[in-house]
Order: sequence, then C-alpha cells, then structure tokens
Amino acid sequence: MQRSYIVKVVLVLILLIVAGYSLYPTFQLSGLNRKETEFIDKIDSLTRLNKIEIDESLTAGDLEARIRKAASGDSLNDALASAAELLDLSAKIEKIEKRAIKRGLDLQGGTYLVYEADLPQLLRNVAKNKDDRLEDIISATKNTVEQGGDDFFSVLEENFKSRNIEMNRYFGRKGQTNQDIIQELKDESQDAVNRTLEVLRNRIDQFGVSEPSITKQGANRIVIELAGVTSIQRAKNVISSTAQLEFKLVQKSDIIWSILDDIDRVMRVKQKGDALADSTVTQSQADTAQFASGETAKDEEVSLDDLFGEQTEEVEQDTTILVDQNTFSDKPFTALLRQIPGAGYIAVPLQNVRAVQRIINLPEVQAVVPSDVQFHFGTEATVYGEDRFERLYLTKKEPELLGETLSDASVQISGGTQSLRAGAPYVSMELNNEGAKIFSKVTGNNIDRQLAIVLDGKVASAPVIQTKITAGSAMIEGTFTMEEAQDLALILRAGALPAPLYSITENTVGPSLGRDSIKRGANSAVIGLALVILFMIIYYKAAGIVADFALILNIIFIFAVMAGFHSTLTLPGIAGIILTVGMAVDANVLIYERIREELKSGKTIRAAIDAGYGRAFTTILDANITTLITAVVLYSFGTGPIKGFALTLSIGIIASMFTAIVVTRLIFDIITSRYAIKKLSI
Amino acid sequence: MQFFQNTHINFIGIRKIGYIISATLIVISLVSLVLHGGPRMGIDFTGGTSLDLAFAQSVSASELRNSLSDIGFGSAEIKQVGLKEANEFIIRVEKMEEGTEAGQVIEAELTQDFPNNTYEIKSVNEVGPKIGGELGRAAILAVLISLLGILIYISWRFEFKFAIGAVIALFHDVIITLGIFSLLNLEISLAVVAAFLTIVGYSINDTVVVFDRIRENLKVLRRETLPNIINKSLNQTISRTIITSLTTLIVVVVLFLLGGEVIHNFSLALIIGILIGTYSSIFIASPIVLEWQSRADEKKSRSTLLHKSR
Repeated sequence: MQRSYIVKVVLVLILLIVAGYSLYPTFQLSGLNRKETEFIDKIDSLTRLNKIEIDESLTAGDLEARIRKAASGDSLNDALASAAELLDLSAKIEKIEKRAIKRGLDLQGGTYLVYEADLPQLLRNVAKNKDDRLEDIISATKNTVEQGGDDFFSVLEENFKSRNIEMNRYFGRKGQTNQDIIQELKDESQDAVNRTLEVLRNRIDQFGVSEPSITKQGANRIVIELAGVTSIQRAKNVISSTAQLEFKLVQKSDIIWSILDDIDRVMRVKQKGDALADSTVTQSQADTAQFASGETAKDEEVSLDDLFGEQTEEVEQDTTILVDQNTFSDKPFTALLRQIPGAGYIAVPLQNVRAVQRIINLPEVQAVVPSDVQFHFGTEATVYGEDRFERLYLTKKEPELLGETLSDASVQISGGTQSLRAGAPYVSMELNNEGAKIFSKVTGNNIDRQLAIVLDGKVASAPVIQTKITAGSAMIEGTFTMEEAQDLALILRAGALPAPLYSITENTVGPSLGRDSIKRGANSAVIGLALVILFMIIYYKAAGIVADFALILNIIFIFAVMAGFHSTLTLPGIAGIILTVGMAVDANVLIYERIREELKSGKTIRAAIDAGYGRAFTTILDANITTLITAVVLYSFGTGPIKGFALTLSIGIIASMFTAIVVTRLIFDIITSRYAIKKLSI
Repeated sequence: MQFFQNTHINFIGIRKIGYIISATLIVISLVSLVLHGGPRMGIDFTGGTSLDLAFAQSVSASELRNSLSDIGFGSAEIKQVGLKEANEFIIRVEKMEEGTEAGQVIEAELTQDFPNNTYEIKSVNEVGPKIGGELGRAAILAVLISLLGILIYISWRFEFKFAIGAVIALFHDVIITLGIFSLLNLEISLAVVAAFLTIVGYSINDTVVVFDRIRENLKVLRRETLPNIINKSLNQTISRTIITSLTTLIVVVVLFLLGGEVIHNFSLALIIGILIGTYSSIFIASPIVLEWQSRADEKKSRSTLLHKSR
C-alpha cells in the first residue's frame, strides 16, 4: 500500500471514530428512553397517577409523595421501588440528552407557541392623551403592517409625518423629536418583551419538560417550545396568567434551625427504622442542627438510597449526592445543605437539589413543618468558590405585600452613600398609596429581617430591611452587577405588562402521532435505503457495493454531525435524509457511468478510474453546489420543520461529496494497487 | 447491467414535440390555477385552525358539524381520515380575527357535547392570519432568491444562455407541479413549498450535469455544430439521468406509500417534481440554450448584414 493511501485511510478512520463518539450518547439515550417509558407505564399501572402526572412530578421532585397518596399496600412498595429507579434514570437521561440528537416536537409530541407583543395596545397604554386621530393612526399602521408592510415603528412614524402631526403631542415630552420618541417606544416594547421572557423562563419549570425552549424571535416575538406538553390549554394557562409577585418575610434563624432539626429527626427515623425512633428523638433535641460551611464540609458521595434507607443495589455515579461526612448519620438532612458566610439563604449543592426536594415533599416531613412556613428555592443558582448552589429560603407562608401594589421599579446608579460606593447600581422601587401604607408597617416592625421578593414561587432576592420606609419608595442595595440589578428591576416590574401578548401561532402534536411519525419515518428510511442498496448492487455489481458502503457512511456522518451540533431531528428532517439517500448515490452514478465510458473507449482499468473520477469531479461540484444554494435558502427562510429538512439535506449533500469522491476513490485505488484486476466489476 | 447503451436519440430533432407537450401542460396548469382562483393555500398561509382528533367511539361528520354549528363553526371543513374504526377526523376552520382561539373553543364544545365519547388530540395547528401572510411572502421570496442564486452561479460557471435555459426549465417544473396540485385540488402547505424548493434543487442538479457535458464537448469537438454537441451530450448523460432519477424516485415513492398522512402531499410533490424535472432537463433546458444561441446568431448575422450594406 502506498503512503498516501495510509494517510487517507487514517483520516477516514479518525472521522469514523469521531462520528462514533458523537453518536454514542444518542444511541445510549434511545435505550434509556425505552427503559424510562417502561417504568412510567409500571407506575401508571400500580397507582392512580396517570402518565402526565408522573412526568410532572418527576421534574417537580415530589413523585414519591404523590405515589404515597395514590397507592397502597404491595403496589405502593412496588411503585416506590420503580419510582426510585425512575428518578435515577431520569437524572441520567438529563445528562446525556445535552449531547444527543434532539427529537423535534413533531416526533415526540409537544406544543409550539408564538406570541407577539401587542404594539397597538402598547401605544394606547403609554399615550399621554387619546383621541380619534391617534386611534386612526394606530389602526392605519396596524393595517399596513399586516398587509406585509415594513417595521411597525417606521410605518408609525410615516403615518404621523404624512398627517403633519408631531409625535410629541401624544408621546414623550414637549419638543422631543419624532426620532427620540420612536426610540423610546421601541425601548418600551423591548422592555415588555424582555420582562415577559423573564417571567416565562421562571415559570417554565412547572411543565415538567426536560428541555423547554423560550426564545425571542425578531424584535417583539416570543417562541415557546414545550416538548411533551400536549395540552395547549394547560400551556397557555401557565403562560398567560399574570406573574405572581409577592413579598414574604424570611423566617428568623432560630425558627429555621428548629425546623431543620425536626426534619433531621424525621429522616433519621426513616433511615434507622421505626424501632429506634424514640431514643433518637431525645438525643437530637439537645443537639441543634448545624450546617457545614461551604468550605469545611468533608464531602463524601453517597447513594441516594443510603439517604432514604432503602436497599442499595448498585451505586452509580449519576445518582450520588454530596453529603457532609461529619454529620450525615446524625443529621441526614442538614448534611445535604451548606452555609455560605454572610448569605441570607441556605445553599444547596446542585446535585443535592432533587434529594432536598424529595425530602421536603415527604408526607412525614410536611407533618413536622409548621403550617405558616414555606420553602422557596431561588430563581437561579449561585456560584460560591468553585461550586454551584441553589438558594433555599424558609419564609412565612402569607405574603406581606403583593406585586400589584408596585407602581414602578428601575435601576439607579448610586451617587455614593455610606453603604454604597459611587457608581454602584441599585434598584429603586415605587409603591402606590395602599402599598406604601402596608410597606411602612412591615418595614417598621421587622428591621434587620430579610424580605424575600418572590416571583411565581421563586425567590429573586431577599434584601435586609434597614429602616422603616414610609414614603412608598424603597432602595434595594446589594453587591449587584449592572445586569443583576436590571434583572431584579425587570422582575419587580413583571406584575403588570404594559404591552399584552397575544398568540399568533399554536401547534400541538399529540404523543401518539409523534410515535407514529417516527415509526413511519424510520420504516420508509430503512426500506428506501434497502431498495437503493439492492439496486446499486444489481446495476453496478462490485462497484455498487463500494457505492453502498459510501452511502451508509454518508448516513452515519449526517447523524454524527447532527448529534455533534445537538440539532433537532424532525419528520421533514427524516424526509431530507431519505431524499439524500436517493441523491447521494448520484455522485457515484456519475463517476461509474464515466468509468464505463472510459473503459469502452479502450482505456486501462487504472486510467479509466482516474479519468472517471477526474472528469466527474467538476460535474459533481457544480451539480451539488446548485442544490446546496436552494438548501441554504430554504434553511434561512424556513421555520421549524422546514429548517429541519434543509439542515439534513445540506449536511447530506456535503457528506455525499466527501464519501463519493474521497472514500470510494480510496477503495478503488487500494484494490487496484494491491491486486492485478483484469476486469472491473462495474 | 446497463439500461442505455450507445443511444443515438435525436433529442434536438424532436424538441418541438417536447415544446408542444410542455406548452400543453403549462396551459392546462394555468387554466386550472385561474379557474380555482390560484393555488389552494393551506392554513399555514391563509391562517386558520386545524384539529386532528381521534374519538374513542364512532361518531359521524354530521354529528360533529351539528355540535360545531352551535358555536358558529357550522361551515367548518370536517373530513374523516385513516381507517373507519379509528374515528379520526380533521376539522378545519377559516381564518379569523387575530387572537381568537378557535382550537380551544372547539375542543371545549366537543368535550361538552360528547361527554361519553372522549377524544385524543393528535394535532392542533392554529395559525394567525398575520403570520400566515408572512410565511407566504417568505416562501415566494425563498423561491425567487434561490432562482436568482442559481442564475448567478450558472452564469459564472457556464454562460448566461445556460443560466437562462436552467431557470426557464425550473419555472416550467414549478408551474406544472403547481398545476397538477391544483388539478388534484391538493393543498399547498409549508411542507409542500419545501418540496417545491427541493424540486428546484433537484431539477437544476440534473440540468447542470447535462450542461457540464455540453461544456466539455464544446472544448473537445470544436468542429461539431451546437445541435450535434447538445444531442451527443444528452445521449452520453441519459443513462446517468435515468439511474439517478430512478434511485431518488424509489425512496420518494417509499416515503409516499409509508410516510403517513403528515408528509403525503410533500412526497407527492416530490414525485411529480422529479418526473417533471428529469423531463425538463432533457427536453427544455438544453434546447432552450440552443434556441437562445440561434436567436443570438440571427441577431449577429443581421447586424453584420447591416454593417455590410452600409
């Protein structure tokens, strides 16, 4: 074998290995998904829970508690055992999913929603004075845009100009230019969309969706994709309900300690069995709970089963949690938690979040938690040292104040005070009269306590009350970055959206149709592929086998590239792959027909192969580039499903050029250089 | 094995027959399109709501219609699909005001009117008129841009007359496929537009292969006339054209037969497009190049005559 062949063979092998590495998670995932469905079916049959409920509680972390309510006797134990395995499995799936090919909504079932900010309504809301002329301009603008006109705001400006009306009669300040006002209105609409995005992201956990996607499209649209959610009604209920903003007092630390203590006692009992219950209770009362600090914890990884006192079968990496070894046996719950100096919350290492949620939701635990106390996680994880933690707060259940009483919130820059250096951002919020009265009372009575700002059940921030605030205008200081301050202001303003959203497109695919589509797509692909492979062998004999090899390689590469970029496979995407199968052999057909011609004209085998590949090359290039042009246009203009089709088609075209020109050539070269072939089987 | 050995078909000689066939097909297509008031656009473009529901027990379309007329959707299109036992219906209503949620109103009404007959939602698609219009414009723009891209690429790689031949062939393919869809009263959905663009890509692929051969032969056979070169090139590539069309057709037919309702029209558009595209790359694209050339020659000779007479 010549040197140059070896280099090429190694190159192809490396590509194959990379492809294999990229495809492995996808391959693994399909097996795990099958197992997951089995467990869900089993729990479904053992309890009164249906599949959707199981799915939901899986993400919410209260599966065990719900099973206990929905089953009894032997089936309860069976269901709990399955639940434990299911939890492990879903944690594993979540990890792998990020590296696998995503299934599109049309294949796994789900809901796709597009919302748009109601710009005409926004204008009406912010206008200084409203009259028929303004209404006339607004509706004229709306019509033009709907007929396929330009950007909303430029049409609006045109309409004001053509009527010789200054925009500052209705918007902005006196004497302000149209341009400035347009900019302000644009900012306002951006702000409305961003606030809604923030609210939706925060809320989306309720769906029990593994990879929810909420993205901004263009200037004032929001696209929401919820895999597995098939009730538009339910999705819209969650999405379109106004954000619930509450202010809740964080419990005093002595109350928090005693609650944690109680939970530790319950968990210890659960671990050691009922027999030992009494003796441990007395012991624990003397011994107050204490956190391990974020730095000094002697962390150890244990299996979830250790914690729940269940039979340990196989300890797998994915299911382990981080506990403080010093206190684990004595305080099973606090061992999962960490203390960060100066932080007004309990830190939960990310890998312990599920376990903590499970414990909090246990009926035994719920029984010992006072009825006026509520657990709230933070809106997002925090980083301390090298680790990431979820914030956990224990607050009063009843809110002190509701978001409706808030009239505005904004980011301000400090001019420099005792507690805040000059240039540092802070958030200022304004309350209405009623709110100001309540706020004055609450702040007066609770100086030095934390007041948590809770958005849809999650704590955005929990500032300490420093003085009694009577004027209805408060400052929230902290070591905010500008971005954090903006986010908080955004959340505070989320209560009332100035520009309502309305849905412009909704698409739901039921799970049964999704499964059906996968089955049909896969069937067509396999049968189509088999027929083409057979045809090539019959028509081109041995050379056909080489082309078939290239074809299969081509398909492997398409999937590998998709997995590598974590792309989405849709039904049209499968159609694209199938079409590629038909078209991919084209390059080889071109080459082979050319080789046949060259052989007929009396060339030797080597010369015919050389000429065949050489002459066919420009043809293949030109033909494929023109096809690629349409595929790329399709990708940039298409929406969801069409993008999927264009994507697989484009990858397929490029991959087919490589396999047909490089790989098959290599095979021919190796064979003809090693063996003295008298007649080419083509 | 070989299907076409040393063919000597006089494609250029019979090109007039091709023109007549194409002209007839285009006229039929245009007439059908005019009579139907343009292509039948699906709700992806017009806006509207479509529900695909599978009922647990048997129910008739008229029972459903009765139920829907209570809420003002008596004119909805109701179609049973799949096996009769599946009790699966597709219900569609026309576009309405932005923000009206027909899907949910219908779901609620059916749940109320058929309390003992539960249904499973297979799919719901609700498109606002605004986004529909946008998609329609985007689709037309996409077709035009890819045609332009192809025109530029082929003018660059070949000559302008080849680009003209290719683009005319593409228009030919798309118009006839649209016409056949119109004749069969099939709907143009977003997926069908994707199929049209694929046809554009596929047909151009076929055409370029022939052009490439013409370009090569023009260099080698300098003494031959253009008609002869085109004829020779078509005969040399006919085998490849047929084989590739065949392999592609195999998979698309499989997709049509087994792919299910969702991509039925999509794969049908591809089947029609591949057949038409193969035909046009032989009988339209290359002959047009010839016509364009002879037109240019005529002009040239006329202008030289003028020069001479002066």
